Amino acid sequence: MTRTWKKGLPHLFLLLYLVVILFPFLFVLFSSVKTDNNAIALNPFGIPHKLVFHNYVEAWVNAKISTYFFNSLYISVLSSVVSILLGSMFAFAVTRMRYGRVAAALFGLVLVGMLIPNNALMLPIYTLVRKLHILDTHWALIIPYVANAIPFTIIILAAFMRSLPSEIEEAAVMDGLRSGGIFARMIIPLTVPAMVTVFIVNFLGNWNEFLLANYFLSNDDLRTLPVGMVQFRDQYQMNYAQMSAGIVFSVVPVIVIYAILQEKIIEGVTAGSVKG
Amino acid sequence: MNKALRSPTIFLLFILPALILFVMFFIYPIFSSIYYSFTSWNGVSAHVKWTGLENYTKALEQKRFWVSVQNNGWFIVFSVFIQVPLIILFSLLIAHVKKLKGLYKTTVFLPSIMSTAVIGILWGFIYEPDIGLLNQILGTFGIKPIYWLSDERYAMLSILITNAWQWTGFYIVMVLAAILSIPGELDEAAAIDGASAFQRAVRITLPLIRPIISVVIMLSIAGAMKAADIVLVMTKGGPAGSTEVMATYMIKYAITNFKYGYGNTIAVLIFIFTVIVTVLYQLLIARRNERIEY
Repeated sequence: MTRTWKKGLPHLFLLLYLVVILFPFLFVLFSSVKTDNNAIALNPFGIPHKLVFHNYVEAWVNAKISTYFFNSLYISVLSSVVSILLGSMFAFAVTRMRYGRVAAALFGLVLVGMLIPNNALMLPIYTLVRKLHILDTHWALIIPYVANAIPFTIIILAAFMRSLPSEIEEAAVMDGLRSGGIFARMIIPLTVPAMVTVFIVNFLGNWNEFLLANYFLSNDDLRTLPVGMVQFRDQYQMNYAQMSAGIVFSVVPVIVIYAILQEKIIEGVTAGSVKG
Repeated sequence: MNKALRSPTIFLLFILPALILFVMFFIYPIFSSIYYSFTSWNGVSAHVKWTGLENYTKALEQKRFWVSVQNNGWFIVFSVFIQVPLIILFSLLIAHVKKLKGLYKTTVFLPSIMSTAVIGILWGFIYEPDIGLLNQILGTFGIKPIYWLSDERYAMLSILITNAWQWTGFYIVMVLAAILSIPGELDEAAAIDGASAFQRAVRITLPLIRPIISVVIMLSIAGAMKAADIVLVMTKGGPAGSTEVMATYMIKYAITNFKYGYGNTIAVLIFIFTVIVTVLYQLLIARRNERIEY
């Protein structure tokens, strides 16, 4: 009796926690197929009596979720790829090329970037973006996103490249490769696992970013998903069934990505922090 | 060998793109912020007027500014004294169950991969006074509807709960990874010596994961200092400025009210406060946590 109790008690707490995590999603999912606010109020917890998919059509068409979705997708992918490209070049130069002190100083400089609270830099970046005449274009997000991801990308990739044995270069030089060739033909292929991790972390960061996306773009057709959703909420404040459908649209893609890649995502986020 | 890896042109070519972006988006903004924090500028006109420390004294005299500082303080207090103990408790529980470990680990992490904006909307709906989930649950216990986001007494708490809901799992996974990397022999040896599960958790696991807990606290403090999007989405700083945080206060002045100089003053103050809190934490607590090898 006490043994089963001992074994069961942790599960009791943990399952309670899972309910707290999952119930809000379930509530929104159910609400999204109910007729109106009244139907939600009368039966807040239960499965709807009549499934109404009209809300989804309305959200997709009225709220232009599709436009926002594809804006978010290409901005996030492009920014993440470019920061990995630039970051890996930098990491290669400071870890594998023979420039001891200069390399160490440059690397130290970039490390400092991790300590800067980047929200506080939003105003000068706003002015900078305006001076570059890219305010209200997608470049106003892509370039800052690439730049913001650079310190983290470099730190993780440099740590990985450092751990590669130096025999790699010896072999490559024997084969007649120069530094450019060593980078492209040897180091890059070997660094792919670390790159995947960095890509996912950067992608999620860009996909979810709200502040810059909210203030740097005013053209509705250019907006990203988080900003578009907030706008949609403000317009349809009173129609919770429709709003729920909008939430489902913006949450499902992330859940699908998560379901497929969860091992990699968790690994990526805990990378480097575990040893404290 | 060395010759192949010593090409100044290639080195520059590889370094420059990232370095230019880094200088443009990290170094230059810091100095620009500091410079404009001493001016009264609207952000557009050609004329920049130097005003010395005027913005700083103005900020420190503003009651609304101090309310925002206090609210950042609430973020820190809530995460350190409520979230961290929960994080430790749940991490220990997950580490010691045999069944369903994977399910717990992946599910608790789920909220932290989602956009704060969307989570703010979702919880706004849960807090809705008439049909929201929370008041419906309270209603079944006979509690009258609470205006979670529009009542000054509850608005900040509501945001803190939402924020905790989003991020607790993220930190659990980090702490859990640290616990699982502790060699099992230590725990087994103690178990053979007759230590109970509770004793083993407190005497063996906890001391060994102190460094990672320190990291978690540092990250929550950093997160607390830059909290902004969740507040903007859920309350926009209202009702009556009661949920304003420093970052939203800064945005309100600089972008909405065209007080660019003053906004930068707040940015510099955020920076200074973050440094102060971090240094204080390092001096008072973290320094005592020597590195642990096993």
